[in-house]
Amino acid sequence: MSRTEAEWSQRPRLAPREYVSTQIYTDPDIFARERERIHRAVWKFACHESELASVNDFRTFDHAGTPLVVVRGPDGVIRTFVNSCSHRGALVVREAAGNAAHWTCLFHHWMYDISGACTAIPRDQAYAESGVCKAESGLRAVRTAVRLGMVFVNLDDTAPAFDDYVGDAFEQLEPVMGAEPLEVIQLYRNVVNANWKLLQEVQMELYHENLHFVNRQVAMGAPGYFARKWKIYPNAHGTLEPMQQKYEVIAGWEQRAEKTLPGLKPGEFRIVDLFPDTCIIVRTTVMRIDTMVPFGPDKTLLESRGLGIKGESAADRALRTKHHNQYWGPFGRNYAEDVIAPEAVHRAIKEGGTPYGLFARHEDERGQDDVLVRSFYAEWGRRMGVAASDPKARAVRAAE
Amino acid sequence: MAASNDDIRGLIYRSCLHLDAERFADYIALCADDFRYCITAYSPDLRKDMVWLDLNRTELATLLENVPNHVRLPGKLIRQASVYTIEPNGGATVATTTALIVTYTEPDGTSRVYAVGRYHDRIDVGGAAPLLKSRDVRLETRDLGPGSHVPM
Repeated sequence: MSRTEAEWSQRPRLAPREYVSTQIYTDPDIFARERERIHRAVWKFACHESELASVNDFRTFDHAGTPLVVVRGPDGVIRTFVNSCSHRGALVVREAAGNAAHWTCLFHHWMYDISGACTAIPRDQAYAESGVCKAESGLRAVRTAVRLGMVFVNLDDTAPAFDDYVGDAFEQLEPVMGAEPLEVIQLYRNVVNANWKLLQEVQMELYHENLHFVNRQVAMGAPGYFARKWKIYPNAHGTLEPMQQKYEVIAGWEQRAEKTLPGLKPGEFRIVDLFPDTCIIVRTTVMRIDTMVPFGPDKTLLESRGLGIKGESAADRALRTKHHNQYWGPFGRNYAEDVIAPEAVHRAIKEGGTPYGLFARHEDERGQDDVLVRSFYAEWGRRMGVAASDPKARAVRAAE
Repeated sequence: MAASNDDIRGLIYRSCLHLDAERFADYIALCADDFRYCITAYSPDLRKDMVWLDLNRTELATLLENVPNHVRLPGKLIRQASVYTIEPNGGATVATTTALIVTYTEPDGTSRVYAVGRYHDRIDVGGAAPLLKSRDVRLETRDLGPGSHVPM
């Protein structure tokens, strides 16, 4: 039976933790608040160490509106700096990646080394009166942590240490990513017309898997699919019990029994969701790290990295790449739907669609239970000081 | 009879028309038995080439057969191709370079450029009709939105 406008607009008769207001996806004030209270305050996946394989290798990226450059120093240590000249703020490093022992700002040629120190100010005698000097003009250092080859940064110098933030959430990844060096073999960057949380939700709930022609067969048809238990960690990270999926049910696809990543059984699938916007998926022979760079409430850069084993043979790399592309990348059989669906939500809600999104599935925290999404929004609410079910409320109350 | 350059261009253009219209069986019929299809792009982030698709004829045919089973973008892709060069490639084979622009038109009628790149084809011209032996789609575009279940 359809509903009247009044019925449709009223709050769901659910516990507040079981639904969100769709304003959280569209409101610019909420987005701005998220940037300050969440994105600038937590550890953020930046890149994989293999993207900085050699001394002086660097990568640039944007995080929470701040341009950053990550670089491997002569001592092998990976460091991060705000990529903005101390003189007038211009981008110092304009390439996406490269190798350089020093950087020169294009504008007035101030120079920096890869420790972030300012090493040259042209015609600096004119600063004698004001006292501007190299010693006090270094780039701003940003906290950096590397774990299992993944590089994380944090704009907040007072935030808890990385290990405290992640805790045991990487326990399923330790055998996979800790045994041998991995490297990025694919990078797909896609600006999505949707709020970043809609993309992260897709990785936190399985109820949408009927959307996928491939997953309906490979995953949902495999034994134990619905029995897997979610595990929630402090700070709302989450993992799902591993299972073995049946890739061979797709015509022309192999079982994925050979060349498994370390520690995995044939066909094994693992997933780790890191609050707020990173997801790591392991599909037996290849894995993917997703992270997001929100540009606005309605626009998000989604970065998907495929990883294989560093230094493997060409034949092994070709097999791993093939397995990666079966699912992921712009021509993968599974990737598109996970973007099309969030964009479809955003298109409807941005100007008057459904006012509430429901996360009310309870299945003993197994399978298609929404427990991880509810945990996500509990943490979101704690950091934002408002409930996701009522983000415009004046009362400062953590979501249940 | 050896294929003329017009025959070769016609093959390439028909391959585009068949994919545009999603006449997948007709597209596969243009491909030799040992056909290999690749989509590659250079990543300035990784400073290396990426292989986004690498399929033989059978694998490509199966992929295309399953396209209707997927949830897809609702609009239409149209390929614009211009054959730049046709060069001998040894034996009864020629190598061609074709500029490619793919446009995407939304259901509401707005169009945009979806992808830009080149086809690097090897074509068997020794038979009754020319057949594609290999196609390397070299894309400059690296943001293809949600992606496409239909190759370029």
